[in-house]
Amino acid sequence: MLSRFARFCVALLLAGIAVWIWIPPHAARQIAHADSAAAAPPSGYDSAAQATPANAAFRFVSPVPNGDWTEPAGDLANTRYSPLNQITVSNVKNLRQIATFSDGIPHGHEGQPLVVNNTMYIVTPFPNNLIAIDLKNLTGPAKWIFQPHPNPVAVGKACCDTVNRGAAYADGMIVYQLLDNHVVAVDATTGKQAWRTAVGNAYNGETATGAPLIVKDKVYVGNSGGELGVRGKLTCLDLKTGKVLWVAYSQGPDSDVRIGPGFHPFYKKDQGANLGVKTWGNDLWQHGGGTIWGWISYDPELNLIYYGTGNPGVWDPDMRPGSDHWSISIFARDPDTGYARWAYQIEPHDNYDYDEIMENILVDMDWQGKPRKLLLHPARDGFYFVLDRGTGEVLSATKFVDSTNWATGFDLKTGLPEKVQDKATHEGNVTMGICPSSTGAKEVVPSAVSPITGYNYIPTHNTCMNYQALPANYIAGAAFLGASVKMYPGPGGYQGALVAWDIKNEKPVWTIKDPTFPVYSGVLATAGNVVFYGTLEGWFRAVDARTGDILWQQKLPSGIVGDPMTYIGPDGKQYIAIYSGIGGWMGSVAFPTISMTDPYAALGVVGAMNGIKQVSPPGSNIFIFGL
Amino acid sequence: MQTRFVALLLAVIALAVTGCENRSATEGDTSPINPTYAAVGPIPGTNQPNPIGPTSPYINDAVGLQEGRRLFVWYNCYGCHGGHGGGGMGPSLRDQDWIYGATDADIFNSIAQGRAHGMPAWGTRIPQDQVWKIVAYIKSLNTSREPDPPR
Repeated sequence: MLSRFARFCVALLLAGIAVWIWIPPHAARQIAHADSAAAAPPSGYDSAAQATPANAAFRFVSPVPNGDWTEPAGDLANTRYSPLNQITVSNVKNLRQIATFSDGIPHGHEGQPLVVNNTMYIVTPFPNNLIAIDLKNLTGPAKWIFQPHPNPVAVGKACCDTVNRGAAYADGMIVYQLLDNHVVAVDATTGKQAWRTAVGNAYNGETATGAPLIVKDKVYVGNSGGELGVRGKLTCLDLKTGKVLWVAYSQGPDSDVRIGPGFHPFYKKDQGANLGVKTWGNDLWQHGGGTIWGWISYDPELNLIYYGTGNPGVWDPDMRPGSDHWSISIFARDPDTGYARWAYQIEPHDNYDYDEIMENILVDMDWQGKPRKLLLHPARDGFYFVLDRGTGEVLSATKFVDSTNWATGFDLKTGLPEKVQDKATHEGNVTMGICPSSTGAKEVVPSAVSPITGYNYIPTHNTCMNYQALPANYIAGAAFLGASVKMYPGPGGYQGALVAWDIKNEKPVWTIKDPTFPVYSGVLATAGNVVFYGTLEGWFRAVDARTGDILWQQKLPSGIVGDPMTYIGPDGKQYIAIYSGIGGWMGSVAFPTISMTDPYAALGVVGAMNGIKQVSPPGSNIFIFGL
Repeated sequence: MQTRFVALLLAVIALAVTGCENRSATEGDTSPINPTYAAVGPIPGTNQPNPIGPTSPYINDAVGLQEGRRLFVWYNCYGCHGGHGGGGMGPSLRDQDWIYGATDADIFNSIAQGRAHGMPAWGTRIPQDQVWKIVAYIKSLNTSREPDPPR
């Protein structure tokens, strides 16, 4: 005779099996999404609920890295926040170099390494080697080096140095993009290639520099080449096989853009059929840019991916009359089908090359007294955007770099910028004193947020430009530029700053100004109330998240354009890692292949970078710091 | 014997080079481009001077230089090599460093043949007379002869 308790257990078991059979797996997944706080986070991660501290300024929406670092931004929501708190405002002064390692490629080291199972993975700039470092043996040889040998023709097609913004990890594989438009998956243990898929053609000017995002069983990658007449696109691949599942273009007919009946843009200006063709004069959508070389975010609750698109093809606006949809836009898409849920074009008919490929940070937060699902987008164009990420409604667009003068603000009813006519650009005219420059009030290098302070730590630029639009011929594989641009430091005696932006109160709280150069590194925020970032001169800094006091700094051999990350080592201690290797668009002026005697060189950035060759040689190192 | 062979080789090269100059430097010649002979690496043997190869007839021609500047923009050269040749996606043309040789013929060949790191082979598209004008413009960069210098 079974005891009453045993009978109860059997009944429970049977009921459990019945439910398991009754609910199909995709529905179970949806239930998990609806209550992601309850779902078990991956190994080395805290759940969103666990990571959200008491009295938090906002709530996380996806698991947060607590030991490992498996996605480019750490988490899927692009917060770049770590709940690790061994390194604090009081002990960070004792931070010291634990190890350094050169990968031998003296080009721009954007992005960040990954840490999985006590192994660090580094993707180098072209030729995009993948290096595995055993964290238990930091001074020993690399575990393995995977050399993919991409096609060197891509080197001369990459607009802004041969950078790579990092890899993502899932299911025992490291996945990343090669400059020549191949996506590779490499076995994280053996270093052997699992699959390799071509998703573009370098001979037509297309390259790949962005980091993939992996969600469940799918990989998402964008492309680069907005200065070579490339059509921007997001490609979705099957994680297991590398097979291309769908492609969503940034312009062209709705079928190319993957716009269907479920597409509901918030603003009237973004509604209507085939805007990706109709809003382009001279059929220029066929070379329409809108490339996707920044960061991709994912919200597990709404089950949507988010990303921004780059400049419309050819910088001469007169050649493409119309709003040029969907360049300079933010997209929300269904991650499975790729179909767009909503989109918002930030700047119609771009005049300035303001790619809006910046990170979209997803947080849940009270906004003007109401709980909202927010998307935060510190924009290249100098305005800080707060959107409702369910609908695409703009809740705020506030200037975050003072010199911004191309528009006075945004009309939140229409979603349109209030453009300043004097600063419009046209063929044959040289428009002077446009701020920010094409490099933006902020570049692709990502910001970080902290739920403790409610601040967004933004690496900013104060650079302005003169812009002359020029008619251009499209020749496949050559530049399709259409402008002569000269940049220079903006007013106020500084050219960059780390800005702590109070998200709720829409204003800066503190800034650390850089008198000489823009701030071109990513940012990391931690639960120890320490924020990390670097400068183009090579200073790597730890800053008090609340006050902006510099608590610790060390000069690295080359300028910093990478993103700091943090992890727990095999000894249970917290470490910080950062690349030292100048490059990227503005940083490429440090290279011997660019001459200071032409301020218009490197798409106009040379004029803003006086003295960079004297302060920062090219570099190729990663540095690891600990207490 | 070996010395005589090298001398003979040089004579043949010199002849070929002179021939090329006559053919390629003709104004208005829009025939397809045959790359000119120009050694980029050193000639094997002891202290052998490299042949100079054909030169651009527009080096000191203000009109040709201005036309070279126009073509440099028209064919999108400036998009990769910088507004005034200072570099970008492609290397600077304003400095003293020449990856594939510094002579007019070397530069002509780089334009006509393209290069493995992304430089397109423009010889398939640009008349050779225009290539010589672009060569002259490139050679004028950062000199007093440079038309429309950066300001």
